[in-house]
Amino acid sequence: MAETKHVEVDLDDIEKICEEFENREGAVVQVLQKVQEKYGYVPAEALELVGDVLEIPKSKMYGVLTFYSQFYQEPRGKFILKVCVGTACHVRGAGLLVDKVREELHIEPGENTEDMLFTLEPVACLGSCALAPMAMVSGTAYGKLSADKMVSLIRQLEEETVHEEETV
Amino acid sequence: MAKVTINGIEVDVDPSMTILKAAEKAGIPVPTFCYHPRMDPAGSCRICAVELEDSKKVVMSCVTPVSDGMRVLTESPKIHEARKTNLELLLLHHPLDCPVCDCGGECPLQNMSFAYGATESRFESHRNDEPEDMKSDVLVFNANRCILCGKCVRICDEIQDVHAIGFINRGFDTIIGPPLGKKLDCEFCGDCLEVCPTGAITDHFVRYKYRPWQLEKQQTTCSYCPSGCQMFVETENEAIVRVTSQEGVGPNEGSICAVGRFGFNHVQIPERFDTPYMRSLHRLVPSSWDEVLPEIASQLNAIRKKGVDRIAGLISNRVPMEDAYVFQSFFRKTLHSNMIDTGSRYSFMNAALPIVDATGTLRPLVDHEDILKAKVILVIGADPVSESNITGLFAKRAARKERSRLYVVDSEAITLSNRAKDHIRIHPGGEQIFLDVLSEEIRDSQNMTPEWISRKEELFKNWNVDPSAYQRLLNDLKSAETGVIIAGRKLFRIETPVSGVEALLRITGDLGWIDRAGCGLFVLPEAANDLGVLMMGASYEWLPGLMDSSDKSSKGRWEEAWGGRLSYGPGGGLDAILKGIDEGRINALISLGENPIGHFPVGSRVREILSKLDLIISIDMFQNDLSDMAHFVLPVASAYERSGHLVSAEGFVQPIKPTMAYWGESLPDWQILDRISTAMGNPMGIESAEGVMAEIVRFLPDLSPSSRNGSHFVGGTGEIHLATPVVFPGILSSPKSIQAGTALPAAHKANRESVSSRYLGWREKAKEKSGIPAHPIAGEGEFVLELTKSLFHSGKMTLIDSNLKKIQPEGKLRINRQTARKRKIKKGEQVVLRTTFGTCSFVVEPSPAVSEFELTFPVHFANGQVLGLFAPDLEFSAGTGSPVTHRIRVSLETQNAN
Repeated sequence: MAETKHVEVDLDDIEKICEEFENREGAVVQVLQKVQEKYGYVPAEALELVGDVLEIPKSKMYGVLTFYSQFYQEPRGKFILKVCVGTACHVRGAGLLVDKVREELHIEPGENTEDMLFTLEPVACLGSCALAPMAMVSGTAYGKLSADKMVSLIRQLEEETVHEEETV
Repeated sequence: MAKVTINGIEVDVDPSMTILKAAEKAGIPVPTFCYHPRMDPAGSCRICAVELEDSKKVVMSCVTPVSDGMRVLTESPKIHEARKTNLELLLLHHPLDCPVCDCGGECPLQNMSFAYGATESRFESHRNDEPEDMKSDVLVFNANRCILCGKCVRICDEIQDVHAIGFINRGFDTIIGPPLGKKLDCEFCGDCLEVCPTGAITDHFVRYKYRPWQLEKQQTTCSYCPSGCQMFVETENEAIVRVTSQEGVGPNEGSICAVGRFGFNHVQIPERFDTPYMRSLHRLVPSSWDEVLPEIASQLNAIRKKGVDRIAGLISNRVPMEDAYVFQSFFRKTLHSNMIDTGSRYSFMNAALPIVDATGTLRPLVDHEDILKAKVILVIGADPVSESNITGLFAKRAARKERSRLYVVDSEAITLSNRAKDHIRIHPGGEQIFLDVLSEEIRDSQNMTPEWISRKEELFKNWNVDPSAYQRLLNDLKSAETGVIIAGRKLFRIETPVSGVEALLRITGDLGWIDRAGCGLFVLPEAANDLGVLMMGASYEWLPGLMDSSDKSSKGRWEEAWGGRLSYGPGGGLDAILKGIDEGRINALISLGENPIGHFPVGSRVREILSKLDLIISIDMFQNDLSDMAHFVLPVASAYERSGHLVSAEGFVQPIKPTMAYWGESLPDWQILDRISTAMGNPMGIESAEGVMAEIVRFLPDLSPSSRNGSHFVGGTGEIHLATPVVFPGILSSPKSIQAGTALPAAHKANRESVSSRYLGWREKAKEKSGIPAHPIAGEGEFVLELTKSLFHSGKMTLIDSNLKKIQPEGKLRINRQTARKRKIKKGEQVVLRTTFGTCSFVVEPSPAVSEFELTFPVHFANGQVLGLFAPDLEFSAGTGSPVTHRIRVSLETQNAN
C-alpha cells in the first residue's frame, strides 16, 4: 500500500466549521462529518484543533471517531469503489469483482492506489439486490457487473480524470 | 422512606437509593466491577445482578432504584448462575496470564472467578492479541486484560476532569487508551491504575517487581502538599515498592496525585546520608553518633555561654508537629535562643501573620466539604490542582457536579479555568488593586469616593479585567448563600502579599461570611505541615499555640507548663538571623532540612554570610549547598520512616506512620535534638514521638488527631453526600468521653464564635487603604517572569526522585503560544532572558495557558542561575520578613535574532 500523504489542516477552516457548533452539546458526530466533508477524511490534526476550539475532550472525540465506520482517519482516493459483497451479490460472484480490482489496481480492500485515484471498499449491501452483483462509485450505482465490466469502469474513470486534468 | 427486604433483612431507605446502596445499608455485600461510590453508576459489568423475589426478574443492583415493599435476593441459584455466565463471558477475552500479571493476588476478577467457580467455558474463547501500549513513561495499557468496565475512563472524566483516556474502536476491538495513538499526556494521578479491577493498567515503575501478597501495607499521611491525603505505603524487605490509596479512606477519598503516588523513590537511593559526618581538615568524613555528639555538645555549650540568641535554628515546614515542638523547646529552653524560623517564611508567612492577627487561628473556617457545597467559589492567586491537589478536585467537582459558580482571577490559565464561569485574566501585578477595589465595593458600593471609582476604571482599562465579569463576580459574592475564597502561593508572592491577604480578610468579613456557616477563606499552605510547624511555635513570633513569644503572660504560661524559666532573647526570623550572623552576634546555625542558600540568587551574599559562622549543623537527607559548608552533617529519617502528625490545609491533625526502618544511622529530628541536648547535659526526657504528641495534646487539646473518611454517592438520583469523621484511638481530648462511648473527633475547623469576636476587633483597626498605588513589578523588559509550582514536583527534593524525574525531567520556560509564533520561537528552542542582574538561558515550551506578557518557569528547577535574574541584595518585606523578590520583568532574546 502506498504511503499516504496527509493534508495540511488550516486553523481558519476548522474555526469556520466549529462556528455553528459552539455552545452546543452532543454535536461530535456532526462536527466530524463536516470535517470529513471538507478533507475527505478526519485528519488527526483537525481532530485536535476541533477539540481545542470547542473544548471537547479529545479522548471523547477519538472514541466517536473510531466507533463509527463512516469516519476515516486516513486520506482516501478520489473514487471509492464500493463493491457490494452482500448475500445476493456474493452468490452472483461479488468475490470475483473484488479479486479483479485487487489484481488490476494492486490494492487490498480498504487501501488506496498510489495515485490516490481509487479506494477499494467492499460493503455489506447497497440495497439493490436485483442488480447483483453491483458496485457504487461517487453515488452512481453500476448493476449486473462482471469482472470485465469492472475493468472498463475503472478505465472509464481514469480517462475521465485525465480528460478533466487536460481541460483544466 | 421505602421498606425493602434484602435476603430477609428489612431496611428503611430513601426511595432514591439504588438496591446496591440499600444492601450496603443492610450489611450485605454485593460483588461489583464497574461500580464506584464516587461516580455515576454505569451498569456495564453485569456482575452486581440481584433477583427480585416477586417478579423473579434479574436486575442490576447498581442502577436499579428501590421501591417500597421490594423483596430482593442477592444470592440465589439463579443469581449464582447469572454471575457465573457473566464471568465466563468476561473470561472469553481474558488472557489468563495471572502468573505474570501484577494484579494477580489482588484481582477482583480472579477472586470472583474463584468464588463463582467459572473454571470452564462453554464458549469458544476469543483472545485478543493487542500489543501493550508502552508509549507512556508512566502507565502501561494492556488491552487484553481489560474487561471494559470503564472505571478508568470515568474516574478520569468525573473525578479528575482530565479526560486523558477513552474508549477506542467498537465491539470486540474496543480498547482503552489515550486518543490518536499518542503518548499519554495527563496529570498522572494514577487513579485509573488504582481503580482498575484487573491488571490492564500497570505502571512502569514497579511492573513485575512484586507480588501483592508479599507486601506489607501501612496507612500514613502524605507529606508533600497540605491536602493531607491518606495513602498506603507498601513495602517489601524494608523498601518501598509502591504507594496506593483506598476508596473512601481519608479526606482524599481514595485519590492521590502523581507526587504522592510515585514520588517515593528518592528516600531509598544511595545518595542519602546514612551516617553522621564531621568536618576534619576541610573535608566531611563519615563518623558515628558517639563521636559527633560530644563534639557538637561541647561546641554548642561554649557558644551558649556567650549569651542569649547566639544560636540560630531553621526548620523545614514539612517536618511533623512533634519535631517542630521539640525544635522550639530545645532552642528556647536549652539554647536560650529565639532566633528560630521555618521554611514557611519564604511565603506562607505572608498569609499566616495577617490571618492569625485577624482570626487568632490558622485553622480554616471552611473545609473541602464546604467547597463542594459552596454556591460561589473565587480562586485568586492559586492553582489548587497543583498546590493542594485534593482541594483542586473538590473545586472541580463543585463546579461540574454541584454547579457552583466558580471564578478564577489569574493571569495564567490554571487547570480550573476551563470549569470557571468567568476567568478574569488579570495582568500580572494587578492582583492588589483588584482586591482593594473589590473589597471597597463590597464594603459600601453606594458611597464609593471618586478616587475609588477612578481606581475601578483603571482596573478595567489597564489590567485586563472585564467589567461584566467583575460585576457578575461581585453580584454572586454578595447574593450567594454560601461561598469560599481560595488563595494560594501566587497571592502570597505578589509584591504586597500582606495587603492582599488583608483585603481578602476584609472581603470575607464584610460579606458576613465570618458568622455564616459554610463560608470563609481557604488558604493553601505550601507544604504538608506549614500549619502544624507554625502552631508548634517553630518561628520566633509564636510559642506553641500561636501565643506571642514576646508577651509576658504567654511566656509565663509555658514556663509554668514546662516547669522552668524561659530565658531567650527577642529573637528573630530569617532576616534577623542572616543579619545577626553577618554582624557576628550569632555564631552557630542548626538547620533541620533547610538550605537558605538555595533560595537566593548566586550573586547574593548569603553564602558569604553563612561562612562567618563558627558552627553549622546541617540535619538533612541529601547533600546540598549548606551541608557542603557544614561542620557537622547529621542524617535524618524521612517521612516514610518516622512517626508524627501533620496539620492539613483543612485543619486535620493526621498521623504519619513509619513504613520502613530508619535509613542507615538516620534518626528523626526530635531524637537528634534530644541526643544533642542530653550530650549538652540537659536531657529533655523525651522517649518517643508519641510521648511528645501526648504532651502537645495535654497542653493544646484542640490539636487532637482528627480526620475524615469519605463515603460518597453522587449519582443520577441526586446528591447524597455523606462523610464519616474518624475517631483515632489513643490520644483524645477528653478521656472521659471515650469511657462514656461518646467520643467525638476533635474539630478540625476554626471555632466561628471565637474567630468572630477576634475579627470584630481587627476589622475596627483595619482601615480601608485608599490610594495605594498599584505596585509595579520590578525590573525592565516586556515580559514578567514568574516562578510557579509544578504538578509533578514538590519542593526541590523530588527532583532527585527517579520516578518523578521521568514524569517531568526538566523545567521549561512557558511562553504564550501566539507570542511564540509571532517571535518565531519554536518548541524546544533555547532563549535567553536578561535582567539588569543577570542572564539565563531556558528551553521554551509554547503554551496557550500563559498570558501574553508572562513567562512562567517551575520553581523547583530554579537554580542559582535562574534566581540570578532577581536582585541579589538581601531584601526582606518589612511586615513579615519574607524575601520580597518573586517576579521580575525580563527581556527575551532569541538565538535566531543574534
